[in-house]
Amino acid sequence: MSRVEDIDQEVLEFAKIVGKSGPVTVVGGRTQWAVGGPPEPGTREVRAPAGIWSHEPEEMTVRCGGGTTLGELSEQLAHHGQMVPFDMPAEATVGGVLAVGHSGLRRLRYGDIRDFVLQIRHVDHTGQIVSSGGPTVKNVSGYDLCRLMVGSLGKFGCIAEVTLRCLPIPAITRWFTGILDPFEVHNQLYRPSSILWDGNRVWVCIEGVLSDVAAQAAIFDFEEVAGPPSLPAGGRLAIEPKGLRTHKQESDQSWIAEVGVGLIHTDLPAAQRHINDVNVSLMEELEERLNPNNRLNPGRQVLI
Amino acid sequence: MKNVPIDLPIPTEDLVSCVSCGLCLPHCPTYRVTQEESASPRGRIALMKQAHHDGVVDDEFVEFMDTCIQCRGCETACPAGVQFGSMMETTREALATQTRYQPWWARLGYRTLGWQKALRAGSALIALLQRFRLVPQKLGLPSIPIIQRPLVSSGNDVWLFTGCIMDAWMRDTHRAVQRVLESTGAGIAFPDKRANCCGALHVHAGLAPEARRLALRTMQAFPGDAPILVDSAGCGAQLKDYGHLLDSDAAREFSERVLDVHEWLAQRLDDLPEKTGLSPRIVVQDPCHLRHVQRAHESVYQVLGRYVEAVSLDDDGLCCGAGGAYSTFHPQIASDVRDRKIRAIEEIQAEEVASANPGCLLHLRSGGLEVRHPLEIVDGLIKKDE
Amino acid sequence: MVHKSADKKLLSELRSFLGDRARDGDFELGLYAKDGSVLKGDPMIVCLPTSTEEVQQIILACRRYDRPFLARGSGTGLAGGAVPVGDPVVIATAKMNKILDIDIDNRIAWVEPGVLNLDLSRELSPLGFHFAPDPSSQQVCSIGGNVANNSGGPHCLAYGVTSAHVAAIEVVLPDGRVALLGDLTAESPGYDLRGLFIGSEGTMGVATKVAVRLTPNPPEVRTLLLDFADVRDGAAAVSSIIANGLIPAALEMMDQRAIEIVEAFVNAGYPTEADAVLLVELDGLPGGVEHGVEVVRAVANRHQVGSVRVAADDAERALLWKGRKNAFGAVARIKPDYYLHDTVVPRGKLVEVLEKVYQIADAYDLIAVNVFHAGDGNLHPILAYDSEEKGVLERVQAAGRAIVTASIEAGGVLSGEHGIGLEKRDYMGMLFSAHDMATQDLVREAFDPDGFANPLKVLPSGSRCSDSFGQHVPDGAWV
Ligand SMILES: Cc1cc2nc3c(=O)[nH]c(=O)nc-3n(C[C@H](O)[C@H](O)[C@H](O)COP(=O)(O)OP(=O)(O)OC[C@H]3O[C@@H](n4cnc5c(N)ncnc54)[C@H](O)[C@@H]3O)c2cc1C
Ligand code: SF4
Ligand code: SF4
Repeated sequence: MSRVEDIDQEVLEFAKIVGKSGPVTVVGGRTQWAVGGPPEPGTREVRAPAGIWSHEPEEMTVRCGGGTTLGELSEQLAHHGQMVPFDMPAEATVGGVLAVGHSGLRRLRYGDIRDFVLQIRHVDHTGQIVSSGGPTVKNVSGYDLCRLMVGSLGKFGCIAEVTLRCLPIPAITRWFTGILDPFEVHNQLYRPSSILWDGNRVWVCIEGVLSDVAAQAAIFDFEEVAGPPSLPAGGRLAIEPKGLRTHKQESDQSWIAEVGVGLIHTDLPAAQRHINDVNVSLMEELEERLNPNNRLNPGRQVLI
Repeated sequence: MKNVPIDLPIPTEDLVSCVSCGLCLPHCPTYRVTQEESASPRGRIALMKQAHHDGVVDDEFVEFMDTCIQCRGCETACPAGVQFGSMMETTREALATQTRYQPWWARLGYRTLGWQKALRAGSALIALLQRFRLVPQKLGLPSIPIIQRPLVSSGNDVWLFTGCIMDAWMRDTHRAVQRVLESTGAGIAFPDKRANCCGALHVHAGLAPEARRLALRTMQAFPGDAPILVDSAGCGAQLKDYGHLLDSDAAREFSERVLDVHEWLAQRLDDLPEKTGLSPRIVVQDPCHLRHVQRAHESVYQVLGRYVEAVSLDDDGLCCGAGGAYSTFHPQIASDVRDRKIRAIEEIQAEEVASANPGCLLHLRSGGLEVRHPLEIVDGLIKKDE
Repeated sequence: MVHKSADKKLLSELRSFLGDRARDGDFELGLYAKDGSVLKGDPMIVCLPTSTEEVQQIILACRRYDRPFLARGSGTGLAGGAVPVGDPVVIATAKMNKILDIDIDNRIAWVEPGVLNLDLSRELSPLGFHFAPDPSSQQVCSIGGNVANNSGGPHCLAYGVTSAHVAAIEVVLPDGRVALLGDLTAESPGYDLRGLFIGSEGTMGVATKVAVRLTPNPPEVRTLLLDFADVRDGAAAVSSIIANGLIPAALEMMDQRAIEIVEAFVNAGYPTEADAVLLVELDGLPGGVEHGVEVVRAVANRHQVGSVRVAADDAERALLWKGRKNAFGAVARIKPDYYLHDTVVPRGKLVEVLEKVYQIADAYDLIAVNVFHAGDGNLHPILAYDSEEKGVLERVQAAGRAIVTASIEAGGVLSGEHGIGLEKRDYMGMLFSAHDMATQDLVREAFDPDGFANPLKVLPSGSRCSDSFGQHVPDGAWV
């Protein structure tokens, strides 16, 4: 499915729907609709095609429409003992999750969601389809537009189709908790999937085969729990991972941080982050070229 | 010198055997300290190709060739099997015979090496100056005796090659080696003065005709078929290369008889006296001519390992910068290269350093380290047991 | 070789701050004409800067004299990315080789671009970490080159390629401004310029500092060597291992010719009579590794494995890997020249495409050697030849094109890790539509509207609006 000739009918139709003119935005599961601010009033809402178009278990890749929900995707993959560790609500769509670009709770082990993207087909501001990346698990053909699309809030195009790399579902996934030094936990455990910390209590996700999970869990005085705590629903604050050590003292808000990642989930809305002038100018150059009339997701702001 | 015509007689198949993958670069001491492509094996081969093709060289070219230490670390690193050593020797020979690469004073210096009287006189002079503390300590020269006690043969099971500078400056090392060899029950024969220079430095300098003359002379000093043992890695490599240098059956047969003294001992570990007492921790520096040329460095660990805790360095056998006469002509690069080696040595906590090549040994000593020949260390430990 | 005389004014300007680190000697320029590929160019001037400021000054000087420039790391690239075409000034990063800071708390190291990949991992090793991307050239390739090519390596099967291991990059942009792309946080604000720069092959500026992520060393490692009497069984075993839900740390394959030449170099006891071997590495916690070994054994048995050898210790493992990592160079033992391809196909198509590769080589009377990252379907067919043979280059090029075509027809891509560079830019149209490429060019243009950085690379000339420095891959580029 690498060549232009192979583009699916659904994608071609979606391109027509997006069209050549008029402000347009893609609606997904509305689970992170507020990120970047709402689209301008009067913006036409379209939906990306949904459906899993190919899943080849031995390739560990899956190709689906951008409008496919994570729930549908997970179900299909789980059938074959596979997963994509996005850890977002089931009603979120693949395209939406990628457009926002936020990774899930197990990033400490599995890395950023953008690194699971192999190929993206999007509809650009001219209504034409652009393919970037490739369908194979490894690829460096041409500029890496896939990485650029992730987190771009649809400002560069409407994601129509995505090919993702999958992983085997680990034999066992367990959550543990305890009152511990999270940094010590991070140093002692070998690649845990997640370490959460509220300034007092630590939650850890350990995955693998039973004997390893048991041995890792035995290093600390842990108690097993059903799953992670519920996260504050406000904003996300990303800081240098080691900055968490000092964050504890400064803050009196309730928060839960991803240790080793440096992401803090808080009740407060996300704070604006400064982008330096040189980077802003490069990003504006990109917007000017890829979204010259700002018809794609007008109102939403990546550059704040 | 500008655009001097030259005929580089390197076979084309040797030149093109380099696929410029660069895997040799980190194993080249001069690249390591300069990060200059022109001071790398890949670069030097490309330059040879260019000179071979264009038929001209200039000062720039000569400088790039001259900074090569000829350690041949690149050869062991090269997966393509590029014969760098012989390409460099051919290049140097072409430069020496066809250009003004080796001026008269340098040639005279090299001649002295094979000229026992002159070398003795020179060494005696240094010895005298040493007595009056006129030789800087940092040169790391051993304390040279003004009058040398002769070496005495004890049989004819094996020959021990004595060489030029080593014999003049470090005869006590030969004595220690002799004692260790004798401890296995072997009788040692020493050659006459025809064997007082192997010609290695001459080959490195491109003075191949002189080297061939010395080789023929040296071979005459070892009649019979007893093994010829060498306690200097540089000389051993050269003696093993006579077959190639002279391209005769006699020379090939001679080279077959040559062994590094550790290689010979490693085959008779059980004949060596038992160890008692302490096992000091010793870092072993692998001389390039033992590791990359003779590829016999493991034997040092086998022999030494019987008496001490022999630790190897974690630097893939990168050269120490001595390179025969190299440190005299390129003191800056040589000392930068040595600094790397010293850092690697110092990272390992050890009591002493062992080096199976006198050139490396002196070069490292002048860098402030305690270094002895491996068999001097062994000799010390055996004696204590008696 | 005849060089164009360097732009004297530019040279003296460069000398004013670089001193003798700006070079134009005939012999020396010749050394920067090639990289690890079979292509050759012609540099104008070579600069060896030691700091970001110097890189910036070089680029500003180039701009004043309307000269393009080109960054060069260790020159091991295999797609001609660092081959100077369009008379550029070469900016060699070899002397920018300091590890600036190792920040264990952030699991980050800041390094200069000329730091060699393996030097970094060796420095990190006593601290219990390494830099995960490990190209087979890792002993010599530079971090800057890894970033520019988004390089992979055997262990990228489990750990991901360079892009996943770089947090931030300091870049001197083609207009001389200095930018910091990305940062040490998990979600850097704005668009992912860092991700865009990685893999852009030096066409978006020169990386002058890189913040790489540190990966903890695995507590347990097991390396297995499986041999097969039929290469098809080996390839099928690859697919089954993965289909069994196991992603090994590395899963490499060598065919019979490769085994022979590699064994001649390392003497590691590779079974030279086997038709193919798989080198499988499992790492992690002991239970998982043990489980993995069992899965691999079971799968191998189902696919008629000859024997399964488990490396007994670190030394044996290192020797097996030394063989694998030196395989390309060792090809020179059968023929003086080689042309190394790099395509990716779906794992399930490995057998089919491998057979095509052998057929193509036969048809063009060339020798094909295969040693590759089988786990991710990343083929590296090597065509061995002797450039002295008359007409051989045409055959090699034609065979190369046929291999790329076969890979793409099987649902694959142009390059898995070596990049497009000069070598494959004219193949881009096999994978991308004109509009795809025009979009890529728009993105490149945002960084370098005038095409000053590494001209003539990545995109075919038609799709670039700003190729002011020449049009085609120069005919003389093939050596
Ligand atoms: C024997 C061998 C084995 C190899 N194995 C692998 C492998 O397993 N996996 C793999 O991915 N590759 C492999 N390669 C290819 C090559 O080693 C990699 O592409 C490597 O990353 C190139 O690094 P380099 O420093 O040599 O870069 P160079 O070849 O010098 O340059 C490569 C590209 O990077 C650009 N560049 C270099 N430095 C900078 C900088 N600071 N800023 C901006 N651009 C820059 C150049 O302009 C050029 O386009 C192999 C090569 C060889 C010879
Ligand atoms: S000498 Fe060998 S290792 Fe060095 S570049 Fe040439 S082929 Fe590669
Ligand atoms: S012989 Fe030594 S110094 Fe000379 S090129 Fe080879 S590695 Fe470098």
